[in-house]
Amino acid sequence: MSTTFWVWFGIGLYIAAGLGIALMARRQLGAGVSDFFLANRKLGGFISALSYSATTYSAFMMIGLVGLTYFTGVGALGFELTYLCGMFMMVFFLPRFWLVGKKYGYISPMELLSDRYQNRGVGATAAILALVFLVPYGAVQLMGVGLLMNGISGGAIPVVAGIIIAVVCAIAWSSIAGLRSVAWTDAFQALLMIGVSAAVLGVVINALGGFGSFFDKLESAVPGLLTVPTAGGSWNLNMFIGLALPWLFFLISNPQVSQRLFIPKSVTAMKQMLGGFLIFGFIYTLISVLWGFGATLLVPGLENADLATPNLLALPIIPMGLAIVVMIGITAAAISTIDSILLTLSSVWARDIHKGLINRKVSEKGELRVGQWVIPIMAIIAFLFALWVAEKPGLDFMIATLSSAASAGLLMAVPTIFGAFFWKRGTALGAMVSMIVGAIIVLVFQLTGCKPLGWWPGVWGFVVCLPLFVIVSLATRPPKEKAEEFIGYLKGALKKGRFI
Amino acid sequence: MTKTAWAWVWFGFLLALDIAIPWFVLTHVEKVSAAFLFWTIWVLAAIASAFFIFLKWREVKP
Repeated sequence: MSTTFWVWFGIGLYIAAGLGIALMARRQLGAGVSDFFLANRKLGGFISALSYSATTYSAFMMIGLVGLTYFTGVGALGFELTYLCGMFMMVFFLPRFWLVGKKYGYISPMELLSDRYQNRGVGATAAILALVFLVPYGAVQLMGVGLLMNGISGGAIPVVAGIIIAVVCAIAWSSIAGLRSVAWTDAFQALLMIGVSAAVLGVVINALGGFGSFFDKLESAVPGLLTVPTAGGSWNLNMFIGLALPWLFFLISNPQVSQRLFIPKSVTAMKQMLGGFLIFGFIYTLISVLWGFGATLLVPGLENADLATPNLLALPIIPMGLAIVVMIGITAAAISTIDSILLTLSSVWARDIHKGLINRKVSEKGELRVGQWVIPIMAIIAFLFALWVAEKPGLDFMIATLSSAASAGLLMAVPTIFGAFFWKRGTALGAMVSMIVGAIIVLVFQLTGCKPLGWWPGVWGFVVCLPLFVIVSLATRPPKEKAEEFIGYLKGALKKGRFI
Repeated sequence: MTKTAWAWVWFGFLLALDIAIPWFVLTHVEKVSAAFLFWTIWVLAAIASAFFIFLKWREVKP
């Protein structure tokens, strides 16, 4: 039977397994928005860790990061590990989000901001930021699946077919039981992602004569890729900071992951979630980068770096069965991210825009219905964006670059989030002005390709939005009573749990 | 300084190393034992310090 048949067969099995898990999760689904969007804040540590890992690590890793390593070398490792180092900030933010989430019953991170700054406009502004910038991020996941299926099947499966499969699965898994189906399918997918990617790495390293020989070959064949900046000019400091700065604050700027800080059922579950994720992230990052370096040796000379993974998997050294399983693993990585994004965006729309601005008297049932409608709408928008992007060649449209560009926009909410937890003097106007002006700068610079002084759009946006937040806050009246109560509560609760 | 302040200082120090070592100490060293090894060990230090802090957390009821 042909490769195309086996690819379709594998996809069919994957969809059946995912659907089965999602339907099992539905049995535990209760009523209300907290149950649908946050699994009633009662997820255990193991599932939380795997779900956080699958949501964070997407097609970006096995396609985008592999491509970036292939194209630009070791700086890609530094860039991705800078994100993981940024996870150190979880020791500050995880207990804070978790404690106030439980105490005040927040559904979305934007609701937290609205309440803390005592102004619904703050949450709505952050919500719009998320809606605008998470669409490209969701779209690159879809694009990754399309490119991969197309590559593995030797072109028999069109890119658009792969994108449609990913869209349909993401809609189904986020709609069936909300966060329960997303988290359970995420856990299954995370194990699949790391298991199969490690297996391929083993085959690649073996084909190159073991780790020692692999590293020797790298040093002799592509020495320029082992330093920064590279001889080709990649990974100068501006590029590194431009890509890494948005990534560094990913844990709080991206609502699909910061919303997860509300869900562990206990402190023990929180610890398991964080520890499990750090171990998963370290292993998965190294595997992805080593894939990229392996591809530079085994399939040199590609023009589109995002095709490094499909070309690597198409090599005769990779058994067809394994290549198909890996394709499914990467598809899982993409879908597990986009379904989380869809679920978060739907909660953000329902709670922070619909209930926050449009219809304040909407019932919980009505709010949930609105959220469920938003899931397919956002999926279709991401689908259209993915179709558009898939046709664009060059560095600006590499998966890694687009992913980081999306986070650059979300970075503009970081001063506001820091202010919510650490600065009583922060104000709603300061928050809104900094987010809006920062986002406009990022969008304009991103769309025009403008990089004054060589600084990337996210850096410019951040350099402007941070002082704006401080200056406008100092010039306006803070919500003193709420700030005292919110930060005062945290101070006591943090001490009790020996948090820092 | 409080424990929280120390943790922020440590994090800042890690970020300073993230730039200083690869771009100013190891630049143009085209070996796996240079930037590749540095970043691997560096992130392990960050992960270990996060474990050191969060393993002390204890159960609370919000």
